[in-house]
Amino acid sequence: TLTSTLTSTTRRQHALQRTAPEETVTSSFGRFIQGVQPSHLSPKVIQRSKRMVTTEVFDLALQHCQHMYAPDDISFVYGRNGTKLSPTLAAFVNGVAVHSMDFDDTWHPATHPSGAVLPALLAISDMLPKNSKPRGVDLLLAFNVGIEIQGRLLRFSNEARNIPKRFHPPTVVGTMGSAAACARLLSLDPTQCSNALAIAASLSGAPMANAATQSKPLHIGNASRLGLEAALLASRGLEASPLILDAVPGVAGFSAFYEDYAPQPLPSPEEVEMHSFLLEEQDMAFKRFPAHLGMHWVADAAATVHKALMDLPIRSISPNMVQDILLRVPHSKYINRPYPESEHQARHSFQFNACTALLDGEVTVQSFQNEAVLRPELYELLSRVRVEHPQDNPANFNRMYAEVEVTLVSGDVFRGRCDTFYGHWRNPLSEESLKKKFRNNAGAVLTPDRVDALVQAVDELEYLDDCTPLLTPLQ
Amino acid sequence: MRCVFFVVCSLWKVGEAVLIGAALYIMAAELSDLTVTAQLFEYTMLRKSVTESFGAAVSSLNAAHLTDGVIRRSKRMMLDTLGVGLLGTSSPVFNVVLQHGKMYQSKENSSVWGRPGTFLPPYYAAFVNGVAVHSMDFDDTWHPATHPSGAVLPALLALAETLHSKPSGLELLLAFNVGLEVQGRLLRFSKQAHNIPKRFHPPAVVGVMGSAAATAKLLGLSPTQSMAAMAIACSSAGAPMANAATQTKPLHLGNAARRGLEASQLALLGLEGNKQILDLESGFGVFYQDYIPQHLAEVTPNGHYRWVLEDQDIAFKRFPAHLGMHWVADAAVNVRTQILTEDPNADLRQIKRITLRVPSSRYIDRPIPDTEHQARHSFQFNCCSALLDGEVTVDSFSSKMMNRKSLRELLHKVHLENPEDNPASFEKMYCEIMVEMARGETHTARCNTFYGHWRKPLSQEHLVRKFKTNASTVLTSGAADGIVQIIENLEKIPDCSVLGSYMQFHKHVTQREQSYYSASV
Repeated sequence: TLTSTLTSTTRRQHALQRTAPEETVTSSFGRFIQGVQPSHLSPKVIQRSKRMVTTEVFDLALQHCQHMYAPDDISFVYGRNGTKLSPTLAAFVNGVAVHSMDFDDTWHPATHPSGAVLPALLAISDMLPKNSKPRGVDLLLAFNVGIEIQGRLLRFSNEARNIPKRFHPPTVVGTMGSAAACARLLSLDPTQCSNALAIAASLSGAPMANAATQSKPLHIGNASRLGLEAALLASRGLEASPLILDAVPGVAGFSAFYEDYAPQPLPSPEEVEMHSFLLEEQDMAFKRFPAHLGMHWVADAAATVHKALMDLPIRSISPNMVQDILLRVPHSKYINRPYPESEHQARHSFQFNACTALLDGEVTVQSFQNEAVLRPELYELLSRVRVEHPQDNPANFNRMYAEVEVTLVSGDVFRGRCDTFYGHWRNPLSEESLKKKFRNNAGAVLTPDRVDALVQAVDELEYLDDCTPLLTPLQ
Repeated sequence: MRCVFFVVCSLWKVGEAVLIGAALYIMAAELSDLTVTAQLFEYTMLRKSVTESFGAAVSSLNAAHLTDGVIRRSKRMMLDTLGVGLLGTSSPVFNVVLQHGKMYQSKENSSVWGRPGTFLPPYYAAFVNGVAVHSMDFDDTWHPATHPSGAVLPALLALAETLHSKPSGLELLLAFNVGLEVQGRLLRFSKQAHNIPKRFHPPAVVGVMGSAAATAKLLGLSPTQSMAAMAIACSSAGAPMANAATQTKPLHLGNAARRGLEASQLALLGLEGNKQILDLESGFGVFYQDYIPQHLAEVTPNGHYRWVLEDQDIAFKRFPAHLGMHWVADAAVNVRTQILTEDPNADLRQIKRITLRVPSSRYIDRPIPDTEHQARHSFQFNCCSALLDGEVTVDSFSSKMMNRKSLRELLHKVHLENPEDNPASFEKMYCEIMVEMARGETHTARCNTFYGHWRKPLSQEHLVRKFKTNASTVLTSGAADGIVQIIENLEKIPDCSVLGSYMQFHKHVTQREQSYYSASV
């Protein structure tokens, strides 16, 4: 009677409202993905995002895909000349490669945004026929859409600002970002874009416990490929919840991944004169060595102490000199490992990175190789480490610090502190440092001319009529 | 002389199984040079972790552990699952994912159900067939709530077809039960899991773990590898409830099946995850707010094993809709009988008001559903269908039936109440319907246990009938009969992959034809 009439009336009204803009958060995201244009990219965003484009597990994932799936001459695998896989598998394998050593970029609130997005976009680009390759600026735009969506979603929860405890962020927002980016590159309509996000939500979420294991890189690989799949399924008409990003009491959508979830609609690109990309306000951190971001603070702090010790007449550091090493770091269980047993664990160990930097003055790619990890002098130092979690040191990449205090047998105390490591968004890597990192990494698998070609392609990305110059050298 | 002493000065438990000890680690290079360092480190002492107990069980359970009761029940589940899967191959969502899956070629091939001549890599065959099983919400439901079979059987059959040495029916049966057992045990680690879910869709949480365990079993993985399979699968677990009652829901089962299979394959290649995945709050525990894991019982080669399925039977649906709808339908049919008994010529359009007393569960409370998926998740819709027609069937969800004027009108007369004593739990809920006629008389009926619920299981005859009705929409009657026979005699079948071939004996299309189906099928 009255109640049911009201219910049906409300539903009819609601149905009418669907044609009006911005009535759900989910649809606002769909509209943004479809509506944003290259002209919305500011020079700063272009510059920052290009920096991001410019990194065993990998082997295993590749082997799996090759074993399970016959060569599908479509998408390439990074650095494996002649190896091609179907697009989603290429995205998977390449995504795994990107995160295999925890060397990829980190944002605030915390996630590794690029690894989830770029492999999928490149896989699509490969998939498209020769004379329909996207322009460089299209690729750049789609990339930024993928990053932007991740940033927006992360801001829907206060919990997301701290070092994660439950779900590994790349698996939560990364899949969504990949879906968004792919939807954009595939030119899906707003409804399809929303559906892509919703389908992706059902493929999101992996527990933190697998971080610091060999499975962690698969988190990024999966985010990339599953986001791509979601976009492909949406392009075929698959529908999912139109309220996936909205907060609906009693039925969890994307909110399932957070304890506190307060979504906001994205402004429509037509409504605001210049859409402000988050990358404009919040820069990216690039790692100088392949380990969890938190390690960079202790490494820099320990390096200071190393330098001071090297200034002493003895000019060397031997464990016998050291009585005690105190680390003052934030409280975060999964990066507090006194005696890491694998390379993955070492990349997630305050203690290991502090001691390595104390011994060697720096942490490098080689620091995680077996010979380095198993050094007796390192073990000696590790056994002298104590960890404290000061109240004023939150588990938050924007506010944390690290202090390394070394007490020598002689009684002398040396202290180093790092508030902002070099490479953090507050102290970004110079163009030169970034390119050097790239050349060191890429040069391990590609010939020098290909490395140069890539540097150049990224430099000119927004001017390329065809992104092939970016794709070819990667094969 | 070097001596190392462990002095355990205090022990406490973190989680159920991992003992963390604070040990004074006394190391001496020389006795005169004692360095005492207090270290806090984790180590498992006499007791294995929960995760290890799962790995051990998955690896060690053998056919001798299968009891008659468990065999009987799980064969019923297999049959039902195949039937609903076949029916599901006619759904639009199945077509979408099949087109998607066809993008991928493979050296190894597994059958796509209901599509003669169509093969996909096992990963994708598991995916599309899993989607088919759940496409119409017609598959089995357990307590605590999940749809266990759809996550496991498609993966097992897809895998079986690609193994060089084909597994026997008994091996299939064992692996299937391992997949169910793991799901059942995991669901018991949380009280939250006992109620109709609000956050994560259970098949996406435990289903992928079951698929990993089952495929690990079929592949003969070691305890360590089995653990790894589950750890890897855990990173693929979880999908939000919001996609239930949408076209994407069936993908939750399809994804569970395929990603569990993939996890086992990766584990076989040596990939590792967290060895404490089931023990940690930051592991499998992330999906629940109250997570208390327990060890699986030790598995001895000739000993007895108590399976969850032994103690807790399963519900089979009589029509393709959310389980909660079955209480409503049974109560509604009862009321309708009352009305018609009193007045055989009663006009149901004379109903003035319908009061539904059901548990509070937002995603199955839909006054006016728009799509078939929503209709399958609507107390109101199923009530009115049953009132009008005396039953709810596959056809009740067709657009023609959904858009009937008489149905639409009746929907507007429904009011929902959520009594305090009606919890959102498939074990405890009920449905009461009160219908008020135009002339003022009321009729009331209540359903506590619908026919098909585990407390009142479908007879074998009715189960087989359901299978045949479903299967014969796609397969020849000979093939349908053949499958019934195979399942009935599964323990004696030497090669279980024949099931895959039977699942392709289409009644209209023979193997030689390779047709492609449009989305309007």
